[in-house]
Amino acid sequence: MIEKSLTLEYRLPAGWLKPWVDGLLAGRAIGRSCTGCKNVSFAPVRVCECGSTNGSWIELPGTASIVHRTDGLDGSFALAKFDGAQTNCVVRLNNFPTDATRGRLAAADAGVPAIVLAGLKQDEAS
Amino acid sequence: MVAVTGAALTPFNRRKDGSSFRDWSFDAFRAAFEMSGLELRDIDLLVIASESDFFTLQINPASVLACDFGLAGVSTMRVEGGGASGQLAVHAGVQAIRARQARHVAVVGVDPSASQLPAEQVKMLYSNSFDAWTDGMTGVSSTALYALSCQAFMARTSVTEDHLNAVTTANRDNATRNPRAHLKLQHKAADFEDSPFIASPYRRLHCSPLSDGSAAIILSHANFLPVERKTVPRIAGIGSASDHMHLGSRADPGRFASKKIAMKRAARQAGVTPDAIGLAEVYDAYAGAQLQTLEALGLSDDPAHDLDSGTFSRDGRCPVNLSGGMMGQGAPVGAIGVGQTATCALLLEGRIEPEIQLSSPPQYAVADTHGGVCTTSAVTILKQPEAA
Repeated sequence: MIEKSLTLEYRLPAGWLKPWVDGLLAGRAIGRSCTGCKNVSFAPVRVCECGSTNGSWIELPGTASIVHRTDGLDGSFALAKFDGAQTNCVVRLNNFPTDATRGRLAAADAGVPAIVLAGLKQDEAS
Repeated sequence: MVAVTGAALTPFNRRKDGSSFRDWSFDAFRAAFEMSGLELRDIDLLVIASESDFFTLQINPASVLACDFGLAGVSTMRVEGGGASGQLAVHAGVQAIRARQARHVAVVGVDPSASQLPAEQVKMLYSNSFDAWTDGMTGVSSTALYALSCQAFMARTSVTEDHLNAVTTANRDNATRNPRAHLKLQHKAADFEDSPFIASPYRRLHCSPLSDGSAAIILSHANFLPVERKTVPRIAGIGSASDHMHLGSRADPGRFASKKIAMKRAARQAGVTPDAIGLAEVYDAYAGAQLQTLEALGLSDDPAHDLDSGTFSRDGRCPVNLSGGMMGQGAPVGAIGVGQTATCALLLEGRIEPEIQLSSPPQYAVADTHGGVCTTSAVTILKQPEAA
């Protein structure tokens, strides 16, 4: 048997997604608005369904509704629709009650961008 | 026209005998090659399918394996398309022959998905099958993404958890007749209740295993077949397509849209409609994915009803995953698509193990593979030579 160990440390540039990545680090939902058809994508889409490559970055409220949710040994995740966006986004659920349907984007921890949804407080959800 | 002159699969399981992916690849290649009736000098191109260098720890595995096979000097390439790698490699071979760049092509799929790395590290590598800048930033697992897709599918159809259990039971039961299968199990209802949720609705039993193994086929131009291999199955059509990688960007995250397009392209080439298909080996990474696949391939308008009525069982109109599929036979990723095509060819020709063989093989079969949550789809339709 040949024993081998491989440790890799990547530094992945955000590229065109920098506004999106920076937003996630700060807990801000930055979506992409198509200049042509005004469709807003979150997660951002580089070429809109209408074919346009022209768009601008816009800040969304950061609140979202759960569309589908999965729970288990792998954790809790959901397909969520962020307010102001037309597309859905996969999110990790953090301290999210099983009967809750609304949440807010949480700020990243440890300096690593993440898409995490935390449950809204009762007065925010209503 | 392209013919399948040779086909073979090694056992898919967790190797504990000290053998490596180079040994399994060699065994699969030699078995397929010896069936083909060709000489080594007849092979013009070797196509290797392997999902990730991180599994083999070997960049350029095609050249390494060419040397092992005694094929130094032939053209080589490695094809990668996530879980679809194997079927895309088959397509690369077919296209080379159609383009008259080769008369005979060896296609070998392999991955050491079980024994070379701890399962948690394999799982971490699989998580890179998804867009690292969007879905990947959630830390989502493959199972959880498939689960979200399945939930959308179940919300739209009459598929329930009972149907997920039924698919699992059927595939693992088929595997009991396959001497090369990884999980030969006969499940009872209580087994599912005791199986923990990995990502609801998927319990551990609804998931395919990590396996080691290899599969190989020899593709030949129909004008250059050895005398004893004139009446072998033909490749009637191939088709591939892609979908939004990000699940949230899809109009219906529960629908395998790329597979529908791939099947349409393959069926058009073959000159058939899906109702001509009498045998299917499909990509059942998870139980629900099989039902989503049967819908997308056009093999069923109502997968729940057709599953209940036995359409996909061994004696049904279109038997599905007689090999046991990924859930029963096993899932060495690069080998899956090649293995599905090999299984269809062997079944059509009547040369698979007697326990698996159908007494009356159909005219047409489909081998279906995908990568990601059906992000990349690759479909191959095979037919009996008399259907040519």
